[in-house]
Amino acid sequence: MLKPNPRELLKSSFKSIFKNKTRTLLTSLGIIIGVTSVILLISIGNGLKSFINDQFESLGSNFVIITAGKIFNEEGGFNNEGAYTTFSFNKKDVTTLKRKLKNINAVIPASQSTVKAKFQDTIKESMLIATTTDYAIYRKQKLKQGRWFNESEQKKESKVVVLGSKIAKNLFQNTYPINKKVSIGSANFKVVGVIEEVGGTLGGPSFDDYIYTPLETGFNFMENDGIQSIDIAVKNKEDIALIKKETEKILLDSYDEDKFSVFDQNKILSSINTILNTLTIALTGIAAISLVVGGIGIMNIMLVSVTERTREIGLRKAVGAYPRAILLQFLFEAVILSVFGGSIGILLGSIGTIALNNFFPAKVTIESILLAFGVCCAVGIIFGVAPARRASKLSPIDALRYE
Amino acid sequence: MPTLLQLKNVTKTYGSQDTKFDALKNINLKIDSGEFVSITGPSGSGKSTLMHIIGLLDNPTSGKVILENKNTSKLKENQLASLRNKSLGFVFQQFNLLSKTSSLDNTILPLLYSDIPQKEHKKLGIKMLDKVKIKNKASNTPAQLSGGEQQRVAIARALINNPKIILADEPTGNLDSKSGKNIIKLLKRLNKEGKTIILVTHDLSLAKLANRMITIKDGQIKC
Repeated sequence: MLKPNPRELLKSSFKSIFKNKTRTLLTSLGIIIGVTSVILLISIGNGLKSFINDQFESLGSNFVIITAGKIFNEEGGFNNEGAYTTFSFNKKDVTTLKRKLKNINAVIPASQSTVKAKFQDTIKESMLIATTTDYAIYRKQKLKQGRWFNESEQKKESKVVVLGSKIAKNLFQNTYPINKKVSIGSANFKVVGVIEEVGGTLGGPSFDDYIYTPLETGFNFMENDGIQSIDIAVKNKEDIALIKKETEKILLDSYDEDKFSVFDQNKILSSINTILNTLTIALTGIAAISLVVGGIGIMNIMLVSVTERTREIGLRKAVGAYPRAILLQFLFEAVILSVFGGSIGILLGSIGTIALNNFFPAKVTIESILLAFGVCCAVGIIFGVAPARRASKLSPIDALRYE
Repeated sequence: MPTLLQLKNVTKTYGSQDTKFDALKNINLKIDSGEFVSITGPSGSGKSTLMHIIGLLDNPTSGKVILENKNTSKLKENQLASLRNKSLGFVFQQFNLLSKTSSLDNTILPLLYSDIPQKEHKKLGIKMLDKVKIKNKASNTPAQLSGGEQQRVAIARALINNPKIILADEPTGNLDSKSGKNIIKLLKRLNKEGKTIILVTHDLSLAKLANRMITIKDGQIKC
């Protein structure tokens, strides 16, 4: 049987450590900072991931998306060059897809162009998206004011627009925008609706800054009449893979495979998650360096403690402590120091995450807490072994004689 | 009385080759159960080395130490620790109490490494402090005690595991004469109660209070 029993050993180690509270706190500071940073960074990474997932969900699922250019690289990440392609689809492609694909709800083409929108003296840069009425239905566009353009306006190529919430606010300030005219290029467009706020897009252009107009109307005012992307709204989620394949086949009849990309939302999500995971791991790794520094601090203080308490070690050995009991006592002390720091770090990291959540998506997970706790125990053991071994190997008589 | 401790041809040599010196030379000694033995001698005579070897804190270079019929030279470190815990109680000149730790916790320190159940520790500690008449200072730390009181706590600690032998190394060395006398009185009382006491002192007047006095000089027993 282990003597003293682990409970007694823990009690004894706690007493020794908390005899000097200031030293304990200062020694644990490295671990506190390290764990707080690790928890915060993992929380931000997790928060971003779930934020992006939610955003995708809110934009509607069950889509096969076709874009001009090869936008994914072989590793599953994004291909920068693909984004700058001059290639575009045409109306015939849309008709062919509509005709050949089965089990779909809609084929939704979209053409986009950067424009300057003007209302009275206010001019704002925006992205004009020329699309169809189906976009509003399947991309779940919720309107704050007014309505989406209708079939008849689409057919008549009416000069009507639906504004994103931010561009509407920037252009109209306190004026009610519905039925007002906005100048885009040389023409005036009637505002028929304003979309509800979608929220941030993490650095990319915000959907709230977009202006939507019927496809044909857009072609009349854009410099090109090409279609840069086509969304296929699929009836059942299970059919996505098959429809993706069929779509590729149809398009390959007309174009080379490097001219376009066919993917679903999961592909984008997994690419974004790959990037986020890499970033989170890299940043957490950098933060973890401070855990190593904290561990060295613990080892340093434990070595000092062994020297300071040499006579105590001698006494304990004289009254019957086995070398292993001394080793375990000092090892427990190192682990307690580390876990104490880690617990404060977890607490501060969690509080920090809650505070950060007001400005930025962040989410503490039980996995990150367990990871931080495990790392703290490991740091305590790794950096506590050397001082503990030194203490256990002291000869009782040399230790008792130590001045 | 049965022999409790026996040293057979014990030699302790320090250093190597050119700097070699014998702290103890061929010591033969028998101590019976219930004896009060004092070991005295001038400074550097080897009395502390002898006490460390008797207390199993140090190994002899040659020879045997037989404690309770066990040849300790054949024991491993853990077995020696267990024997120190059960059979020996130490009283040091410097008291060696843990600072910032109460008298009671200092007293029960050896119990941490014993087989005595934890729930009995406190009760036994109080009993021992009562025995050395310092029960009322159970919660005081060493800094709140006088030298004499600290040594009493150290004696209570030495007694806690009910060892056969109490080894006292200059127990009055850091005390005033009155406190010193009281400590010796306490040791005498413990001897009368059946404990074997081995007192190491350079003070001849204290050494003479023992039933048997062993004088050591240049590492050898003189009588």
